[in-house]
Amino acid sequence: MRRVNWLGLAFLSPALVMVALFFLLPVVLTGFFAFTNMSTATGVTGGEYLLNSATLRSLADDGLPQDTLEKLASGGYRVDAEGLAALAAATTPATAAEMERLHGGAEFTDRRDMERALKDLRDNAIRKTRERKEAAELFKRSILNERFADEAQFAAALADTGIAPSHAAQVTAGAYTGWVWTTENVSLLFALPSTLRYAANTALYVTLTLAFSVGFGLFLAITTFYLPKGQATTFRAIWFLPRILPPVLYVMMWRWFTWDTGFLATFSGYFGASPKNWMLDTSYHAWTAVVLINGFVGSSMGMIIFSSAIRAIPSSMLLASEVDGASRWQQVRWIILPQLSWPILFITCYQTLSLLTSFEYILLATDGGPGRSTEVWSLAAYHTALNNYGGNLEYGLGAAFALVLVVMGILASLLYFRLFNFKRLITTPLIEG
Amino acid sequence: MTNLRALLATTALVACGTAAAARDITIDVWAGGSNDADSYRWEAIELAADILEREYAIQGEELNITIEAKRDFGGWDEFKQSVTLAAEAGTAPAIVVTSHLDIAPWSQAGYIVPVEDYLDLDSWPLNDIYPNLMEIAAYDGVQWGLPQDAESRPFFFWKDTMKGIGYSDAEIDALPAKVASGDYTLRNVLEDAKKAVELGLVEEGYGFYPRVSNGPDYAQFYQSFGGQLQDPETGKLVLDKAAMEEMYQFFVDAVAAGVTRKNHIGTEWSQWYNEVANGKAALWHGGTWHYARYTGKEGNEDFFGTIQFSLIPSGNDTGRANTITHPLVYLMTDQQDDMIEDVAAQLIKIASEPRMNSLHAIKSAHLGITRQQSNVELYSGNRWADEATTRLLGTANAQPNHLQYGAFSETMWKGLEAAWTGVQTPAEAVAAVEAELKAKLGDELIVR
Repeated sequence: MRRVNWLGLAFLSPALVMVALFFLLPVVLTGFFAFTNMSTATGVTGGEYLLNSATLRSLADDGLPQDTLEKLASGGYRVDAEGLAALAAATTPATAAEMERLHGGAEFTDRRDMERALKDLRDNAIRKTRERKEAAELFKRSILNERFADEAQFAAALADTGIAPSHAAQVTAGAYTGWVWTTENVSLLFALPSTLRYAANTALYVTLTLAFSVGFGLFLAITTFYLPKGQATTFRAIWFLPRILPPVLYVMMWRWFTWDTGFLATFSGYFGASPKNWMLDTSYHAWTAVVLINGFVGSSMGMIIFSSAIRAIPSSMLLASEVDGASRWQQVRWIILPQLSWPILFITCYQTLSLLTSFEYILLATDGGPGRSTEVWSLAAYHTALNNYGGNLEYGLGAAFALVLVVMGILASLLYFRLFNFKRLITTPLIEG
Repeated sequence: MTNLRALLATTALVACGTAAAARDITIDVWAGGSNDADSYRWEAIELAADILEREYAIQGEELNITIEAKRDFGGWDEFKQSVTLAAEAGTAPAIVVTSHLDIAPWSQAGYIVPVEDYLDLDSWPLNDIYPNLMEIAAYDGVQWGLPQDAESRPFFFWKDTMKGIGYSDAEIDALPAKVASGDYTLRNVLEDAKKAVELGLVEEGYGFYPRVSNGPDYAQFYQSFGGQLQDPETGKLVLDKAAMEEMYQFFVDAVAAGVTRKNHIGTEWSQWYNEVANGKAALWHGGTWHYARYTGKEGNEDFFGTIQFSLIPSGNDTGRANTITHPLVYLMTDQQDDMIEDVAAQLIKIASEPRMNSLHAIKSAHLGITRQQSNVELYSGNRWADEATTRLLGTANAQPNHLQYGAFSETMWKGLEAAWTGVQTPAEAVAAVEAELKAKLGDELIVR
């Protein structure tokens, strides 16, 4: 028995690894990112310590006293004894002596001015740009725009500026360039007016698309069931196209069909209608397009599942009902539909979950437009985390969007399990018990 | 200090005529948003490598530089993701050609290193680059990159249509000056566009034919109505509610007047280019680089005979005629081997020389970056480069390098889209924008 168990696990292991890698890990990472302020600017792998004028500005907004700010900002470059000694060590004492003669005691706020001062050296000229830049660094007394790899180095540099130790922690936190833990993303989701809209859009999208794809899938399965075999196969093959076409191609055909230079507009033009964009004219048009585009994809899958389920119904039942004089509609109502309840449950569960997280067809068709009226939650997550003209991608906030979807998905699954009495489905049949 | 000593020692060795060992260096160059016409973004680096190798050879050092260029990314998004992921993995390309807006986040993340660590900004050709362009490649007082090209986003008029609604040739010639002085405003744009539609010169929706997606162009219209993007005092971003609402209203009015299509946003770029290059639209706006596209792929053989261009007209008394330049920049990423950064810096410096940059400017119909380009015959002899530089570049400003500008720009665009498509009124859209920006930007936003 024990050996068999191990064998089972061994056979399962590739699947387990895949599930862990492609399903569990992303969920865990989403949960993790959602509670960080991670963005392009913070990087993913960690941060350093950097004070620049932007940091000083936000420290000032956070109430850091003016004198502390001045101490942090001051310094610049100073040709002092310490710097000259370092220059003497790095080059020659003569160079340092000439520098002292030319600029001893001088202060520069700008790096460029310091470099210009070094260019004044004549007898001991430093000719190479890189060398002059390194020499300039010897005189730097400010910690502005200097990256420190770890906190200890930064703390040491901070102590040299002479700010009150009580402010050091605040400055250090402000200077950290990496990501930090935060619950701000979640509160931002509640605070942003747009998120309520996205949630409502998502509910509308899932409900309408689900209803369409299950309903139309059933319709296709039942109607093709009553067709002669050859015709049925042909029709099913045609209706299966949306599912197997590459999404980009499929949506492009929709665009050709609906756009103002497309088929619908041209055709209606023959009847005197002015051309309009049937996909994006109003939000109603956009919703119709979104539901149909996704609905046809969903219904082709439903059609296949339902068709197979119908064929599994013993033909004797249908034949018997015909003997009893049942009409087609009665057959559908009293024999076929009752026996399809499990496939319908399956398709409903499966599609709710996949619709919640799928956005590729919407992205390609309306990209959430017009005016964000078809922007669903998952598309908003994508736009936030991975699409930004200005370049600063908000991974943390995007993950918070996605985390909500994970929670919704789990809740929906539990609800469906209960609603459709999933336990009964997976209990061992009495005959085997 | 060991570095400095080592450098000095190397220099001494070279000075003594002792040949140092040959070094092979591979420099990766990734260029975002580039097509065939932009090939000098990396080919200039290849040319520069040849020159640099010779310079080293003269000094007795053997340096072999291999340039590996990559330009085929799906779009800006994919390009930016590729660069940031590569930087996280420590395999970032040495040189990146990208938008100047990336400087703020990438410098904060430590992906890029300042060019001023490697180059003497007082030396030629860097001291010849227009100061406003250098400023655009700087952030927080640090020179992070060098401008790779310059451009600007003009307003265009189709001359035949303008004549059709009653403009004389002289009046058309005077348009750029009238726009610049504020005598021709966006109100006139609407009037003229409406006339063109009513007279049947263009189809409905083609009177004013704007850009089809978000971009710096729309910030121009915000400026036209007196909007300011960044507060020069504090460096914070600014939401001017009145200017934003008037700008939204302008597009709503354009839709209501039938001169702009309600669902214009999202139109295929290829369709858009073809239409504007061949007179299907009366007035529109675009970029200086469109010249190459109109006269090349789209087959407009008489650009100057068919198209007039100017600044973006002002919208009201507080606004100004303006144009935004959105230069791409050469940035250098943080590398394990300091030598690679050093060589990369030398290469982008050489590639910025007037003659080199003119190759790119003329081939891709961009504008030059250095003053001396007016003395390069290839550049000065090109009518488009010459006229566009004088008419537009002088007053051009850029979008701010600010960590949150991306969020600002996206939100402004969302609001415009909602108003334009009639989902919200301009006032509602501005209120939504304000709420969203306040929540996202907090202290970094000034609302007026």
